[in-house]
Amino acid sequence: MAKTDAQSQLPLTAVVLHILLALADGERHGYAIAQEIEHTTDGQIRMGPGTLYGSIQRMLGASLIEEAPARRRPVEDDERRRYYRLTSFGRRVLELELERLSQVVRVARQKQLVRDAEVA
Amino acid sequence: MKPRVSIVERLYRASLALYPRAFRDRFADEVREFAHLRVRAARCKGSAALARETTSLFSDLTASIAKQWLIALREPRRTTTDYDTPTVDALPRDNMDIVIQDLRFALRALARRPGFTIVAALTLALGIGANTAIFSVVNAVLIRPLPYNNPDQVMLVWGTQGQQANQGVVYADYVDWRARNHTFTEMGAFRPQSVNLTGGDTPDRLIGSFVSASLFRVLNTKLSQGRLFTNAETEVATKAPVAILQYEAWRSRFGSRSDMLGKTIVVNGTTFTVIGITAPNTPIPLGAPDIYLPIGYYPNANGLDRGVRGILVAARLKPGVSVAAAQRDLSNIAKQLEQEYPATNAGTGAQVISLKEQMVGGLRESLLIIVGAVAVVLLIACANVANLQLARGAARSRELSVRAALGAGRARIAQQLLTESVVLSIIGGVAGMAVAVGLTKALVTLIGPQLPIDATDIRLDVRVLLFALGISIATGILFGLAPAWQASRANLNDMLRSRMSGGLASVATRNSLVIIQLALSLALLASAGLLTRSLMALQRVDPGFDGSNLLTAQFRLPAGKYDSPDKIWAMFERTVAELRAIPGVEAAALVRASPLSQNGESYSIEIEGKPAVKAGDAPQMLVNSVTRGYFSTMRIPVLLGHDIAPTDRMGSPGVIVVNKSFADATWPNQSPLGKRIKIGDEDWRTVIGVVGDTKHYTLNEKQLLQGYIPHAQRPQIFTSIVVRAKGNALDLAKPVREAIWRVDRDQPVWRFRAMEQDLDAVVTSKKTMMMLTGLFALVALLVAAVGIYGVLSYTMTQRTQEVGIRMALGAEMRHVRRMVLGEGMRLIVVAVFIGLAVSFGAARLLRNQLFGVAPLDALTFVAVTVILAGVAMLACYIPARRASRIDPMVALRAE
Repeated sequence: MAKTDAQSQLPLTAVVLHILLALADGERHGYAIAQEIEHTTDGQIRMGPGTLYGSIQRMLGASLIEEAPARRRPVEDDERRRYYRLTSFGRRVLELELERLSQVVRVARQKQLVRDAEVA
Repeated sequence: MKPRVSIVERLYRASLALYPRAFRDRFADEVREFAHLRVRAARCKGSAALARETTSLFSDLTASIAKQWLIALREPRRTTTDYDTPTVDALPRDNMDIVIQDLRFALRALARRPGFTIVAALTLALGIGANTAIFSVVNAVLIRPLPYNNPDQVMLVWGTQGQQANQGVVYADYVDWRARNHTFTEMGAFRPQSVNLTGGDTPDRLIGSFVSASLFRVLNTKLSQGRLFTNAETEVATKAPVAILQYEAWRSRFGSRSDMLGKTIVVNGTTFTVIGITAPNTPIPLGAPDIYLPIGYYPNANGLDRGVRGILVAARLKPGVSVAAAQRDLSNIAKQLEQEYPATNAGTGAQVISLKEQMVGGLRESLLIIVGAVAVVLLIACANVANLQLARGAARSRELSVRAALGAGRARIAQQLLTESVVLSIIGGVAGMAVAVGLTKALVTLIGPQLPIDATDIRLDVRVLLFALGISIATGILFGLAPAWQASRANLNDMLRSRMSGGLASVATRNSLVIIQLALSLALLASAGLLTRSLMALQRVDPGFDGSNLLTAQFRLPAGKYDSPDKIWAMFERTVAELRAIPGVEAAALVRASPLSQNGESYSIEIEGKPAVKAGDAPQMLVNSVTRGYFSTMRIPVLLGHDIAPTDRMGSPGVIVVNKSFADATWPNQSPLGKRIKIGDEDWRTVIGVVGDTKHYTLNEKQLLQGYIPHAQRPQIFTSIVVRAKGNALDLAKPVREAIWRVDRDQPVWRFRAMEQDLDAVVTSKKTMMMLTGLFALVALLVAAVGIYGVLSYTMTQRTQEVGIRMALGAEMRHVRRMVLGEGMRLIVVAVFIGLAVSFGAARLLRNQLFGVAPLDALTFVAVTVILAGVAMLACYIPARRASRIDPMVALRAE
């Protein structure tokens, strides 16, 4: 299936969206991804390892993300750790999805369904 | 030093093995690391956070494993080679070659270690044999189709009255249902009832069935000789005195006479001509009779009148029609009949149930519970054998590493080990057949009589054998997975370097297996405990009468000979007098339906001053006819008023004695004496006494509202005898029979039973279930105890050196002992927690089987926890003692 149409990947599930967001500013290993998501969502999305790696497996399959090549790691870093990063296709899908979401928010705002302007 | 890893975490890690291979190979390490970090973070926040985290990790894991299997099964051959260590089998071989080579190798390996092989095979034989035996019962009862053609089409139709289901059917309603329905190809009526056969040396009793000709078409009944009834012969208006004999009755009662057809026999005082003999083993719902007679001859007065619920109905669905559709059809007809005959049919309905469901529906749950229990035993046995194999893995590591060094891939070694496990389990399965044969025999005698099927149907047929083969292979794979997985993960370097394989990971797996064993044993113990408490509660139930030295029997007078109430009552009166004159009889009386005989009649009643709100809503009373002296014979206390008087006879004002529950419910805070009740369409009866409550159909029934009327005021041809003996009740059977023959020498009497037999029979089925579950629980406990013993002994041998050093440094024996016991204790505590959780679930499943005990009965759960912990501690004590006796010098020199 790989890199077909980015549009066909939409809409993304919450978990996939947040993983993409977590990787948007650089590569991370699994635990760090989960930490970041928990942090940015104020603990609303707290995923266990099974859920996370299930999603990672699917996202690898869809070429949204890839494993970062071996790199020099800090000394205390466990050699088991694998780092993941966005593919260019993944970045494109993320952008499309964010565009779609802001479209949704715009409409909602026009209809005065959204009160505060907290959405970035 | 490696960081200390908690048992819960080890369990988590071991559970990762449950992931499908592709996912596991790629992500297991990362998942484990992730979980470890989570646990470490939670531990800093205190034990509550740790508990929350553990729960969330395990639920995440469970959901994720399930999901991954769904994915794996959807795309079975995903290429995972990117992540795999490539397999380096020396020469590409044909698949079959590999299998044969593996088999040969497996057999050789097993033969080399006869001790291990025998212990493992016996454990498996026990588990597989027990499962096979239980399955043979399930197969006979639940799976094997009933012996009718297209058995799924055969239905029973019951009458309903208001809220009451499972009522007999009114003959006239049956005639209308049969004429008006669109969903059945045929509908037949039948009424089993014992009949009197006279003309021989002594009067004999046969089980009869009064049937419509159409019944044979519903059941597709086949004859070996003669012909079936014609429609006209069975109808009320055109009935003809013809009879069909059941094949077995023809053989036993009539000595297989070849000239039976056309012969006449006298049944219930009427002469019938035998026109047919059924094929051997002809089945008929609800018990095979000896003789079939036209339903037109059904002897009860008013037996076939509108408004009298006398008969049973069997029917065959048209092909493709569902039970629900048939139900709607009959319900509509019942509604029409309600409008057409408002006087008799108000509130009357029909209820369709498949014959299969009718026969085994009530048994399904208890059988499945036993299946569950025995399956758990097998699981525990599997865990044990897996543990044995893991321990053996240590000894085999050199062999495996040599194979690996010679180029066998990990997958190849794992496959080899798995083959070995399956071969072992099949050996166990074959040995298990011996266990199964013995157990099946025992089961047939133990529970055969309680089953609605012919007990000889419980046998090891092809389906059972296939089942045994299936579970043997499944078992082998199940307990072979852990060792195979272990071997496939082991690092070649480690293996060659060390004498031990697996190391920490192996200990973790083994600990998890022991925890599973103990936890499952606890659940079984708890279930057995709850069932035992139910049984005890049931045995404590006061039936309301004294069953000791009490003899019961029954007889039915031929309606032709006793054609008036006066004649019947005269016979009854003389009978009671004769019975009381028998030496050794303390008291005697007649009762229409004796307790626990399963006879009994309920009537809608009207209470003076309290009219029923609407039709079909009237209170129901279990009405029994008794002679004076029944209460004193049964030792049922008369609480208010008095027993029936000799003057309460035909023609005198109607009287009734009610039980305490009825009096309390109907006239709270008032004296019931002098109040009036109407039974059906009788005249008013005045309450003259209140007696204690009694159980009637079974011991755990909700207390019924009961009324007793004098036999003398409504003599009916059927009655039971109750005789209180001074000595052993059954010794009186012969004198009682002769006493009745002194009154009427043609009268057969049957069902001589000591009341204590009937009381025992009520608890027997519960006892069987309790005994089976208890037996399985004990086996489970034993196997689990051996399991924890084995694991601790194994760890201790591995730690001999450590212990030696400790002791050399001044540790005392009791310190060492405490250390080992502590290790065992940790396993037990975790197992108890998991086990209790499983037990609570099991208790909920058992809910319907319990009586007089709450599913979460604290006493039971505390008791079984203590038993499990006690036995497990005992099993730990032996290795602990051994460890504390280690001679430091010997231990240190050993390395």
